[in-house]
Amino acid sequence: MKKKWSTSLLCLLMLVSLVATGCNFSGDKGSSSAPGGTAPAADGQQAKKESVINLSFENEIKDLNQFSTSDNISFSVLNNVGEGLYRLDEKHEPQPALAQGVEVSADGLTYTFTLRDGVKWSNGDPITAADFKFAWLGAMNPKTSKGGYAFILSDYIKGGAEYASGKGSADAVGIEAKDDKTLVVTLNQPTPYFLRLTTFILYFPLNEKFVTEKGADYALKPENMLYAGPYKLTSFDPASGATLVKNENYWDNANVKVEKINLKVIKEQSTALNAYKAGELDRVMLSSADVDTFKNDPEYTTDIEFRTNYIQFNTKGEGTSNLNIRKALQLAYDATILEQVILNNGSKAATGMIPVQMSGVDHKSFRELQGDLIKADAAKAKEYWEQGVKELGKAPQLKLLVPDDSLSKDLGTFLQSEYKKNLGIDVTVETKTVKARNQQMDEGNYQFGVTGWGADYDDAMTYLDLWANHTPYRGNYENPKYDELIASAKKEVDETKRINMLLEAEKILLTEDAVVSPLFYRGNSFLQKPNVKNLIFHPYGSPVEYKYATVE
Amino acid sequence: MKRYIGMRLVYLLITLFVITTATFFLMKQLPGTPFDEEKLNRLPVEERQLLYASYGLDQPVYVQYVRYLANVVQGDFGTSFTYKNMPVKDIIVNRIGPSALIGLQAVVLGLSIGLILGIIAAYRHNSAWDYFTMFIAVLGVSVPNFVLAALLQYYVGLKWGLLPVAFWDSYENSILPSVALSVGVVAIIARFARNEMLEVLQQDYITTAKAKGLTNMAVVMRHAVRNSLIPVVTILGPIVVNLLTGSLVIENIFGVPGIGSLFVDSIKMNDYSTIMGITIFYSAFYVFIMLIVDILYSVIDPRIRLASGGK
Repeated sequence: MKKKWSTSLLCLLMLVSLVATGCNFSGDKGSSSAPGGTAPAADGQQAKKESVINLSFENEIKDLNQFSTSDNISFSVLNNVGEGLYRLDEKHEPQPALAQGVEVSADGLTYTFTLRDGVKWSNGDPITAADFKFAWLGAMNPKTSKGGYAFILSDYIKGGAEYASGKGSADAVGIEAKDDKTLVVTLNQPTPYFLRLTTFILYFPLNEKFVTEKGADYALKPENMLYAGPYKLTSFDPASGATLVKNENYWDNANVKVEKINLKVIKEQSTALNAYKAGELDRVMLSSADVDTFKNDPEYTTDIEFRTNYIQFNTKGEGTSNLNIRKALQLAYDATILEQVILNNGSKAATGMIPVQMSGVDHKSFRELQGDLIKADAAKAKEYWEQGVKELGKAPQLKLLVPDDSLSKDLGTFLQSEYKKNLGIDVTVETKTVKARNQQMDEGNYQFGVTGWGADYDDAMTYLDLWANHTPYRGNYENPKYDELIASAKKEVDETKRINMLLEAEKILLTEDAVVSPLFYRGNSFLQKPNVKNLIFHPYGSPVEYKYATVE
Repeated sequence: MKRYIGMRLVYLLITLFVITTATFFLMKQLPGTPFDEEKLNRLPVEERQLLYASYGLDQPVYVQYVRYLANVVQGDFGTSFTYKNMPVKDIIVNRIGPSALIGLQAVVLGLSIGLILGIIAAYRHNSAWDYFTMFIAVLGVSVPNFVLAALLQYYVGLKWGLLPVAFWDSYENSILPSVALSVGVVAIIARFARNEMLEVLQQDYITTAKAKGLTNMAVVMRHAVRNSLIPVVTILGPIVVNLLTGSLVIENIFGVPGIGSLFVDSIKMNDYSTIMGITIFYSAFYVFIMLIVDILYSVIDPRIRLASGGK
């Protein structure tokens, strides 16, 4: 009897060890990894200490396939293991990368890029103009492109829109690999920010032979990818993280200072903070609850993203179809309270749709040129409300549609109390999952709802263009004057004139027609170890650069 | 016995079929698409249609259902919508490992400590040991495991630096989550074992055994423990399934790349193929463990026969 029990116990233990071997700890892959980067490198042959940065992501690394990827975390990895014709520098300006330069035709429609001499893939193959053509076409091809991001190419490149909708042929697309070193791109309209677009992940090159050979397994494992950027992947698991090491075949590798970047997935903010305190992470994002504790810490920093959260009014919704009602709802809350009390994480109260720091013209930001469009004014709001009620004949019953994350719920409650206080009305808050909110908005089944948009590139067009498509999601908004401004801004070659048109468009959207109401520009608070310098976080597009980082 | 197991396997397949069908149609009632609608809204209508068509989502639901079933029968669970190019099968295989390891360790730890505590408590009924054990049991049931997890992480990981705070780099990383998970098991098992032991100790055959002059130890080990295990085995089934299939909260707190969060996230994202894959996997696993539990009954208690007349 006793024997039987001990054998079954033994079996159980064997099962445990079996499972233990089968669950791929990320640490035992790759060479000796010093735990937390604090211990000295274990292998004796290395004289100097390997420089390592340990960072974390708040979500999984979902998809490293350039054709289909669409999330910021995958972008963060891909931006550092790949490279485009241009790369954003420390000041978020595009600088020649795989291209050594570009010639733009006088009409602004033809871009002739010349590739840098001797640029190589991580396997030693040369990077050619044809690699760009293959990658760009693949990202637009409806058969391979699955991220919903094809527009970032097809909106600009001639023949792209037709190809992306499955009607046009690849030959008609304005991308030509003249020879190994020359790439000629023809655009639909002059696009002053086209060079900035070429820094985006979907504009990176891909090696056709390699990608075709790997087929469905491409980008699922580190060895199933080729690298053109400052780093290459040595380990990758979507749910636990990735390890990047310096790519010795990178053209500028002499200027890449940090040898290894460890990226860990950690969803729980309090855990990340504990790991930071224990020295296992070099940078950590703070929840707003922790901000007050660390506000005066020398390791505390904030940044701001190009992402605006706003209220979308349905211009065909009951009550919200009335302009005065919309204007009243726009002015009746004070976004600065939102910034200081509810968000308290580096986000800023929004006074317009275009985020702070987004480029305008002549080294002035768009916001500086435009000034504040919306400022809380309870008295005026009340006037608009009464005017609107008179026009409608009765006060409308309002329902605010809000997604079910904790921040948005707080936001809903905040707006509810502000409307009660300043307009004396009871607004119902309807909380739905993100998916359900999206569906309701897509069907036009809402009066007003909280949503947001992050910039794909550094130009006001990334926002203003959205309201020219007349969809229910964008409030069924339709104003010929607005559409005309957007259309002509797309054709305009003169930069000052173009920006003026966009300034005008933003004014119409917010003050004249009151289709949206800005809430806040998203920002984040961090702690970062003082010995880690020059980690560059871009407010849009490719989120982060490890290339310029140093560890002291 | 063989016949019985054969029948149970047939039932298992029927159960799976019903669950698969119900889940599939319920899932299709979820609002939204598996894509990022905000991004999709930016695409022209034709391109959106092409995207739906490339996943077969433009077909009526019953067509999608039949296609899905046909694929599943051939062992193809499709590729995930969230991890766009990864086969669902691979994702599940990758992520069940860490969950199963901490789950199994928690079961082993919880079961051994729970049994020992329970048996001692019953043997020394109404003593300090008994009260202590029951205090632990009440504490274990009422303190949520994420509170315990946070405490373990803070003290053992950060303050004392004995074990890593989080992540999944080596075996050491699995210890804290296992301990955090096991406390609940200790509590349940200890209480069950104690109550059952107390009852068994009142039985006539125990008196007989004592009358025959066996030592106390021999009576407890040979007769009492074995018979008090039956209800423990019953509740062990669901506990094992529960722990081995991952705990969302514990995995998030310790940064374990397990399967716990995958299911919840896939539902949030309308990741149809992953929802289906995990549902089928979970139900198959559950039904299978229940079969094992039933077989174990007959091993522990010869009075229980699995099928009438069968041997």
